[in-house]
Amino acid sequence: MSKSGLATGTGQVPATPMAYRRQGRSVFATLAGPATGLLLLITMLAIASPHFLTRLNLLNVSRQAATNIILAAGQSLVIFTGGIDLSVGSVMALAASTAVVAITHHGLHLWLGILVCLLVGAACGFVNGLIITKGKVPDFIVTLGMLSAARGLALLVTDGMPVPSHYVAVRAYMPRQIIALGAGEVLGIPAPFFIALVVVFLTWFLSQHTRTGRHLYAVGGNREAARVSGINVDHAKLAAYTASGLLAAVAGLVLAGRLNSANAHMGTGAELNAIASVVMGGTNLFGGEGSLGGTLIGGTTLSVLANGLNLLAVSPFWQQVAMGLVVVSVVVFDQWRRRRFAGRG
Amino acid sequence: MLETMRQPLLELKDIKKTYPGVQALKKVDFDLYPGELHFLLGENGAGKSTLMKILSGSVQKDSGTILLDGREIAITSPRDADRHGVAMVYQELSLFPALSIAENIMAGRLPRRNLTGTVDWRRVHAECREILKGVGLDISTTTLAQDLGVGASQLIEIGKAISRKARVLLLDEPTSALSVHEVERLFSIIADLLGRGIAIIYVSHKLAEVSRLAHRVTVLRDGEKVGTLPVNDASEATLIRMMVGREVTDRYPKEIVPIGKPALEVEKLSLGRRVRNVSFSVREGEVVGVFGLRGSGRTSLARSLFGLEPRDGGTIRVQGRLTDIRSPVDAIRAGLGYITEERKLGLVLRMGVAPNMTFASLGSMLRYGLIDHAKERQAALGLVERLRIVTPHVHQLVEFLSGGSQQKVALARWLCARARVLIMDEPTRGIDVGAKVEVYRFLSEQAREGAGVLFFSSELPEVMSISDRILVMAQGELVATFNGGESTSDDIMAYAAGGSTNGPGGISS
Repeated sequence: MSKSGLATGTGQVPATPMAYRRQGRSVFATLAGPATGLLLLITMLAIASPHFLTRLNLLNVSRQAATNIILAAGQSLVIFTGGIDLSVGSVMALAASTAVVAITHHGLHLWLGILVCLLVGAACGFVNGLIITKGKVPDFIVTLGMLSAARGLALLVTDGMPVPSHYVAVRAYMPRQIIALGAGEVLGIPAPFFIALVVVFLTWFLSQHTRTGRHLYAVGGNREAARVSGINVDHAKLAAYTASGLLAAVAGLVLAGRLNSANAHMGTGAELNAIASVVMGGTNLFGGEGSLGGTLIGGTTLSVLANGLNLLAVSPFWQQVAMGLVVVSVVVFDQWRRRRFAGRG
Repeated sequence: MLETMRQPLLELKDIKKTYPGVQALKKVDFDLYPGELHFLLGENGAGKSTLMKILSGSVQKDSGTILLDGREIAITSPRDADRHGVAMVYQELSLFPALSIAENIMAGRLPRRNLTGTVDWRRVHAECREILKGVGLDISTTTLAQDLGVGASQLIEIGKAISRKARVLLLDEPTSALSVHEVERLFSIIADLLGRGIAIIYVSHKLAEVSRLAHRVTVLRDGEKVGTLPVNDASEATLIRMMVGREVTDRYPKEIVPIGKPALEVEKLSLGRRVRNVSFSVREGEVVGVFGLRGSGRTSLARSLFGLEPRDGGTIRVQGRLTDIRSPVDAIRAGLGYITEERKLGLVLRMGVAPNMTFASLGSMLRYGLIDHAKERQAALGLVERLRIVTPHVHQLVEFLSGGSQQKVALARWLCARARVLIMDEPTRGIDVGAKVEVYRFLSEQAREGAGVLFFSSELPEVMSISDRILVMAQGELVATFNGGESTSDDIMAYAAGGSTNGPGGISS
């Protein structure tokens, strides 16, 4: 480590560009690994398939990556605190289904419907956080319970059918504004990806420039120290889970727009991809360190990989196996890397 | 005496051990005869635990020899110790809570039936009943370890050691968590073991136990052996003098500053049985040292003042204002700062120096509700310079700083938060002498600027040197108050070890 340049006076402390050193080490250094991985993957696919580097395909990848990146952004905040949110896929389905049912079957105003969607998502996250902090129940169990309960509620709300349903007298069609969220374009890029970028920016901003963001890292880094430093550990966790639920709802809206429909089975298994994206972005699964920039790269990598397997005509069954293997290998490698470099600069 | 004619069972010669920055043991000699209880005394940090750890194989000596029955042996792992019949009974007991007593005692060597290779439970329980009888326990061998009290667990540990043919038992503060009744039972078991020729090295702070149990006493101080006495020559006064030493060092910078209004007033504070009816006050500019041995309730008092453990009763006033401190958030709002016993418990190692300094005062670093990074950086730079923290830049991860610098980052947090009362629990534990001096200087500086300082410590010299007033705690109560310079270490130690207001030496109850 750099023991040289011992600082005994202000003048000797090197002026490091703040923005790149917020979490104590260069953002470029921590993102180098994930970014290299993504570039390598892109290069390989570009060589392996003539269809990969086409405008159409890339737009398609970014559209598909969007919901996962939005979920992963929320998941990142939870993982920074040392927690985990397994319920995001179900919450996404419940929030989107509720809103679409309310708007199309019951004629609720579009904006009220969107508000309902966001509130349902945030409420699920809040309940997760509340039980975890006040009930002192392990996060794993609570969000696993929510995974099941929210999915069940989504089935109840939709009666198990895609909504808007052909079997009920609908009061309105799927609003074009919601469709635009999933299928539109902004500045030449697909609207879902644009929304994902906005979400990543906002969560990054939250994590780096607000007190709550600082608290998330502190709680994940050393819970007891955070407590002794006057940080309200419960509030920080509650904020993270609520944000995760809220962003699951956003992802649900975007997906419903893209599918022109919502259903109770949306986002099945999405939690695994979200968690994998976070970890592939270099975030410590045990909390305390990581970045949203990494999550963006991780989420993109995952979608590029899925797309690549499609282009190479790998059977969907094998695709699932391959995704599972990749996710676990990345975590294994990450753990090895941390042990290997533990206690070093 | 007879002992001089016999061969020692265990002999240590010239044992040396150095930890980074500390010489824990300097040429220590020690011997132990069969059937003898050899009492090991010394203040915290004197080297007792290091010696015990070397014998039990959990750390290794740098040099010196260990002789068993006159032959040199090597103890490089707990396994070696076990093989040579040296057994440590841990203070934090090491039983498996969800397993039965029988499974615990026989763990790793359950007898099997030859034919099927399955465990011969009948034999297990029969053997265990014998072992339990040997330590005077009349309980079922199927009882789960988690259902046992501390006293019984300890006896089982001892029984387990004996069943593994231990000849030397190491007991570290065995009575610290026991009731009077359990202590008596333990003592009678000890007498029985000694009668069977087993030798015991016994570490405790309780001086009253010396005359009760010991054949000989050895006193360590600062890693050196001060002397070994037969119990008849070891009066408590003598032992305390040997433990505390007489040299007055000037390693303790201390400024005399005017004492102001009360900064912290505590009345009848209670926390279960650990802190009982404690009342005291700290004035602005005053350094109040709280001295207590392990288990005296010292740490619990510190934690409850800061809202880390909810108190059952009592009132806390800060600068005259009644405050209801239920959490660290409340405590910080009221103007308290807290430095923990374990430095690492207070720091987020994987975060930078600056964020660690500003956790408790981030509210004052906000602009339009957002963190003003420039302001935070300026504050951190100022503190780095003022406390002479060695770091390449203010975003260096705290993990990579030296122990002393880490400690200073923890101190800086409360400078940054402008705490009016600093509660410091063992702030100098585990840091080197130079860093200690910096901590004392910091204390004095804070006092000069009008903060009240409450300093909890189990190191007598530092308490005596830097305090304007000394409070002595024992068994959860304040047992004595001395003005700085009006007490001798013998007085203080007597109260702390005795634990009764009647004076020194009473058996703890």
